Amino acid sequence: MNTLSLPRIAYGVLVALLLVFLLAPVLLVFPISFSADNFIAWPPSGWSPRWYVALARESELLLAFRNSVVLGLVVTVLSLAIALPAAVMLVRKEFPGRDILFSVFTAPLLLPSIVLGLAILIVFVGRGLVGSWFGMVLAHLTLTLPYALRVLATGLKTLPPAVEDAAGTLGARPFTVFRRVTLPLMAPALIAAGALSFLVSFDEVVISLFIVGPQLKVLPVSLYHYVESRTDPLVASASAVLILVTLLLVIVVERAVGLRKAVGGGG
Amino acid sequence: MAIARAPHAAGEAPRDAAPAAGLNSVHLTLEALEKRYGNLPPSVSALSLQLRQGELLGLLGPSGCGKTTTLRMISGLVPVTAGRILVAGRDVTALPPYRRDMGVVFQAYALFPHMTVAENVAFGLEMRKVSRTEAKERVMRALGMVRLEALADRKPRELSGGQQQRVALARALVIEPSILLLDEPLSNLDAKLRDEMRNEIRDIQQRLGITAVFVTHDQVEAMAICDRIGVMRAGRLEQIATPLEMYERPTTPFVADFVGRMNHLRGTRLEGGGVRVGEAVLATAGTSPAGEALLLMVRPHRIQMTPAATAQPEAAGRNVQPGTVRRVTFVGDALHYEVAMGAETMLVESSTVSGPQSFAVGDAVFLAWSPDDTLTFPAGTEA
Ligand SMILES: Nc1ncnc2c1ncn2[C@@H]1O[C@H](COP(=O)(O)OP(=O)(O)OP(=O)(O)O)[C@@H](O)[C@H]1O
Ligand SMILES: [Mg+2]
Repeated sequence: MNTLSLPRIAYGVLVALLLVFLLAPVLLVFPISFSADNFIAWPPSGWSPRWYVALARESELLLAFRNSVVLGLVVTVLSLAIALPAAVMLVRKEFPGRDILFSVFTAPLLLPSIVLGLAILIVFVGRGLVGSWFGMVLAHLTLTLPYALRVLATGLKTLPPAVEDAAGTLGARPFTVFRRVTLPLMAPALIAAGALSFLVSFDEVVISLFIVGPQLKVLPVSLYHYVESRTDPLVASASAVLILVTLLLVIVVERAVGLRKAVGGGG
Repeated sequence: MAIARAPHAAGEAPRDAAPAAGLNSVHLTLEALEKRYGNLPPSVSALSLQLRQGELLGLLGPSGCGKTTTLRMISGLVPVTAGRILVAGRDVTALPPYRRDMGVVFQAYALFPHMTVAENVAFGLEMRKVSRTEAKERVMRALGMVRLEALADRKPRELSGGQQQRVALARALVIEPSILLLDEPLSNLDAKLRDEMRNEIRDIQQRLGITAVFVTHDQVEAMAICDRIGVMRAGRLEQIATPLEMYERPTTPFVADFVGRMNHLRGTRLEGGGVRVGEAVLATAGTSPAGEALLLMVRPHRIQMTPAATAQPEAAGRNVQPGTVRRVTFVGDALHYEVAMGAETMLVESSTVSGPQSFAVGDAVFLAWSPDDTLTFPAGTEA
C-alpha cells in the first residue's frame, strides 16, 4: 500500500461525490417508502409500513406487475432462442457482409427509444397489434435482441481456443460438439443475456407507453400513470421493491459471470 | 470404426529402413496440399509426402512456416484449397474431422475446461460408444502412461501447463487412433519429463502401429524418435529424409542450419577443383563450374583439432588449416571452441569424453576435416 498522497485523497473524494450524486435518488427511495405521510416529503414526519400495505392492495399495479414479469420471461426465452443461433451464424460462418449484418442487428442499441417507439407504433397501428400481447412481445424483442446477440456473440468469441475442434477430432458430430462443449461453456453468457433481456423488458417505459392498451398494462407504464395523478409515497415503496428485485438479478449475473465480462466489448 | 493395425505390432519398427513402397504399405498420402487464407500468400503450398503404416514423421521448421496448418488440413479442421489427402488409399479430403479417426494433440492443449481430467480423456471413448467399465479402465491406463492417475478428478484449470499437456496427450492416445497428429506435444515439459514422454509416445506409436506426425521445434527430439524428418520453410517442404541423412546430407543450407550447428565459409571454385576461401584453398567432395561463388558448410564436430606444436597432422587429402583458439565454452558433454582461421571464425566441437586433450584461449592449433564433410551450396541459396 502506498501512503496517502494529496492527489489520491482528492481522487477518492471525487469518486465518493460522484457515487453519492448517482445513487442518492435511489437510496432516498428507501426511507421515503417507509413514510407515514400522505404525500412525498423530506424528511417524512413519521415512519410506517403503511404504503407497503397499500401497495399490496393496489390490484391494478399488482396485475401490471404480474404482466410485466410474464412479458419479461416470454421475451427472455424468445430472445435467447433467437439470438443463440443468430450469434453462432454471425460469429462462426464466413460469408460476405457478415460484419455489416452484425452491426445492423446490434444497431437499435444506439437509437433513442422514442424514435424506435414511434416507428413501432406506426407499423403496429394498422395491424391491430397495439395493446396486444403479441405486439408487446414483438416490440420488446426489438429492444432485447441486440443485447442478447451482443452478449452471446462475445461469449462465443471468447470460448477457449480449439476446444470445439478437439471434440470434433475425438469423434463428436457438430451437434454433439454444440451440446457437450459449446453450450456448457456458454452458460455464463446465456445467463447474462437472459438477465439483461429480462431487465430491459421489465424496465421499458417509452416503447411500452406507445403500445399498451386498456386491457394490457405493464408495471412501468402503470407506475408512470400513477405518479401523474397521485403524489403519495406508494410509488416509493413500489420502487423499493423493484430495486431489490433488480439487485437480486444483477447479483445472479455477477455470480455467474461477472457483469463487466458479460456486457463487455463485442467488436 | 475399423482401425487397421500394422502387421509389426510386436514392438520393433523399421526405424532406419528407407520408405520402400511395397514392403510396408503406404498409409497416409499428401498430394500437393495447399492452404490459402483469404488472399494472403499460401500458408502451405505444394506439400507432398507419403507415410508408411506405423511411421513417425517429425515436422520441423521455424515459427509460422505452416506446421500447424498442415496438421489441421490432415485432421480436416481446415479445408484444403488444393491437393488431396489419402488414408490407406482412400480419399478423405472432404471428410469432416469426426469421421477421420485421427488423434490430435493441440498446440494449445484445448482441454475441455468444464470436465475433469478423467472426463476429458473419456470423451473420445464415449463418442465411440465404448462401454463405461472398459472406458474407465482405459482412461486410467492412459493417465498412468502420462503419470497423472492421481489427478483424474481435477479440472484442467487446477493443473500446471505441463500437466495439461499430458492430459491432452492421454486424450489423443486413449482412442488408439489410426493416425496421430502431435503439435508440439512436449513443449511445456521439463527436460527429464520430456525425454520420458517422447519415449512413451514412441513406444505406444510403435506398439499400436500408429502412423504419426510429430511437430516440434526441437531437432534433437525429432532426431531421437522419428523415422523420418521433414523440414518446412515458408509453407513448403524443404527436405524430407531419415534423421541421419538429413543431418549428414542436407540438400539446402537452410536445412543444414536447421538440424544442428554449421560453420559457414564463403569461397570461389578454382580451375583445379579446389575452393578458394580467403587465403586458403580447400578441397570438397563435389565439383562445380570454375568461378562459381560457393557456400561451404562443415559440422563443428567433424573438425579435428590438434596442437600446432606437434607435427602437422597427416594430410591425406584432408583440409588442414592453422588457427588460434579465441574462446572456449564448456557445455556439459562437449567443449565448444571458437577458432580464428584466417579471416574466418570456426566453431569446433569436441566431446569431453573422447577428446584426448583440451585447449586454452590463445593456443595455436591445426584444424583438419575431410572433403567429404564439406557440404557445398551455390552462394545465395542460404536463408
Ligand atoms: N486462420 C488464419 N488466418 C490467416 N492466416 C493464418 C491463419 N492461421 C495461420 N495463418 C498463417 O499461416 C502461416 C502458418 O501458420 P501455422 O500456424 O501453420 O505456423 P506454425 O508452423 O505452426 O508456427 P508455430 O511454430 O509458431 O506454431 C502463418 O503465416 C500464419 O500467420
Ligand atoms: Mg504451430
